[in-house]
Amino acid sequence: MKRLVPLFILAVASILFAQAPNQATLRSAAGDRAVSVTHVDGQTMFAADEVMAALGGSMAPEGNGFQVSLNNAVAVFGPDTRFAVIRDELIEMPIMPAVVDGRPYVPWQFFQGFLSKAVDLDVSWDPLARVLAVRPAQHVVLGVQLSVANVQGISKVVATLSAPADYAILKEARAYTIRFKSPIRAPFSEQTYDDPYVAKATFSGNDLRLDLKGPDIAADAYKLDNPFRVVVDLHKVAGGAPSLPAIAGTRPVEAPGIQTIVIDPGHGGKEVGAVGPAGLMEKDVTLALCRKLAESLESKLKARVILTRTDDSVVPLDQRTSIANQFKADLFLSVHMNAAVVKGAHGAETYFLSLDASDELARKAAEVENASAATNSTDSDLKLILWDLAQQEYLNESSRFAQAVQEEMNRITGVQSRGVKQAPFKVLIGATMPAALVEVGFITNPDEEAKLKSDDFEKQVVDALTTAIQRYKTDFETRIGVLRPAAPSVGPAAKKKNGT
Amino acid sequence: MGPSSWRVLALIAIVAAAAACHRTKPLSRNLNVENKVAMRSVSLYYEAPTLLLAPEQRTLPLPQSPAAALDLVMRELIKGSVNEGVPRLLPADTVLRAAYLLPDGTALIDLGGPTLTQGWATGSHQELMAVYSVVQTAAVNFPEVKRVRLLVNGEPAETLGGHISLSKALTPMPSVVAR
Repeated sequence: MKRLVPLFILAVASILFAQAPNQATLRSAAGDRAVSVTHVDGQTMFAADEVMAALGGSMAPEGNGFQVSLNNAVAVFGPDTRFAVIRDELIEMPIMPAVVDGRPYVPWQFFQGFLSKAVDLDVSWDPLARVLAVRPAQHVVLGVQLSVANVQGISKVVATLSAPADYAILKEARAYTIRFKSPIRAPFSEQTYDDPYVAKATFSGNDLRLDLKGPDIAADAYKLDNPFRVVVDLHKVAGGAPSLPAIAGTRPVEAPGIQTIVIDPGHGGKEVGAVGPAGLMEKDVTLALCRKLAESLESKLKARVILTRTDDSVVPLDQRTSIANQFKADLFLSVHMNAAVVKGAHGAETYFLSLDASDELARKAAEVENASAATNSTDSDLKLILWDLAQQEYLNESSRFAQAVQEEMNRITGVQSRGVKQAPFKVLIGATMPAALVEVGFITNPDEEAKLKSDDFEKQVVDALTTAIQRYKTDFETRIGVLRPAAPSVGPAAKKKNGT
Repeated sequence: MGPSSWRVLALIAIVAAAAACHRTKPLSRNLNVENKVAMRSVSLYYEAPTLLLAPEQRTLPLPQSPAAALDLVMRELIKGSVNEGVPRLLPADTVLRAAYLLPDGTALIDLGGPTLTQGWATGSHQELMAVYSVVQTAAVNFPEVKRVRLLVNGEPAETLGGHISLSKALTPMPSVVAR
């Protein structure tokens, strides 16, 4: 028996060596090359410096982590996180990088993330053959659904894709083409539309071509996520006074104006929100208040009102916005109670969304470059690809709506104005309608907590928010011409400039 | 098999075991020990009674490399103010897991701790102050920082407490800072 022990140890040692060979093959356009690997938790990890050098790139220490570069693209990874960063995007790895003798090893998914984002290369790892293959990306064929609808004088062309895809938009005199950078599976080859602006849509290769009914139609293109959509809003060219009656005269598929309102009671379930010193929970106050607000809006405005939750349940933030989008809501109001660590904080605040434009500007520039390279057109593309013009319109309207809410909240006795503000609220991102978030009062302030418990104050808040929504509805509908202007100063030019 | 063969085999086994262990060695931080350290005054942002962020000056020994110094400045911010009347903005049990500065100007601030992990029950204002105290402190003390991406436990987080979106990098917001 004793004689078998060393043989057993030797066998184990040989298995360890067999399972953990320290080299793999990197297969790229430059041919095969051996690269060093190590193993952590059964995962093969590749020496980042060798792989990058073999691909014509480099790797260097950067702060606590490491930086890899290839063709002006740079990614950084640290030893303590599964996420590497390339610009503002994250590359997820199944396990953290391993640093052995100062040399970083990463799983193959790092190269897949970096090379696909940076240089459009595809990476795969064959653990049996021990080959890390790098080749030009084979794009997955994406399913596309197309819808065309005219809402409030704007024709919305929405291409819904089965996964996110890069695209460029090319302009001709009477047509726009969305050129996807991945192969697409077209729902049809050609379809005509009974629409004021869109004559027909044609799929050909990776292109979706939209033929228009006139030369004086402008387009704003933007994308939405979850699901991934490319939206092209078509409308008459601004400034052409004679064209305005034509917009007013088109028959929208849905009644214009504020018809559907989504009210969002903040938090719910285990997400209790802020808690007052006497134990009052934000989730309970918002639900009770929003139920009464919905009743009030239905009876006084005759509007269709939808609550994002009607009981004490958890509703994810993006689902709240999705509900508003799915119901094609014309207005979205999220209701919250505030919290502060500073003593004495009191009063109402109303927020609307702020968008960090810096990265989007870079994206716009890239899209313009792509479009120009494809068509040799220049100025027209700059005019066309106003990435967030439509989003900006929603923001302008959201600002007006937030202002009305804040002014009405200020009228409630004892609630001091803390003003309309902008912040990147998750629940407001992606809302395709005017949207605001009201903080009724500071639940962390004992006086305000007591008030928030009282039926009298609740009624005052419900009345104030109902009045605010009524005010905004009247103002909006006057501007788009559904209601007769209350004052003669609102003319057709103002309508076009401010309206949606 | 004689005793000498025993010893040789045992040695091979030990070397093999050691080699295998070496391959799965725990991660090590690649701190740049050669950084020169100098005393430097920094501005840490906490909430003033005006409900806006205001700077508190502190002098710290910091490495000259901004990437290495960012980590230390963030740790100092999370400790809270030295003035008793100035409250903490982040939950008291918050820890800094890592801070990185990327070449494109993105600071990556990785937070952790029981409260942020389990879900922070707070309101918009406090969350706004907490998030932007980190963003403002990083941006003011390091001109290299153009934007700040917050992570929780090394992973992307939707929000810290249900309000402010962390899905994109954030830039300083002058409207929440005292002038």
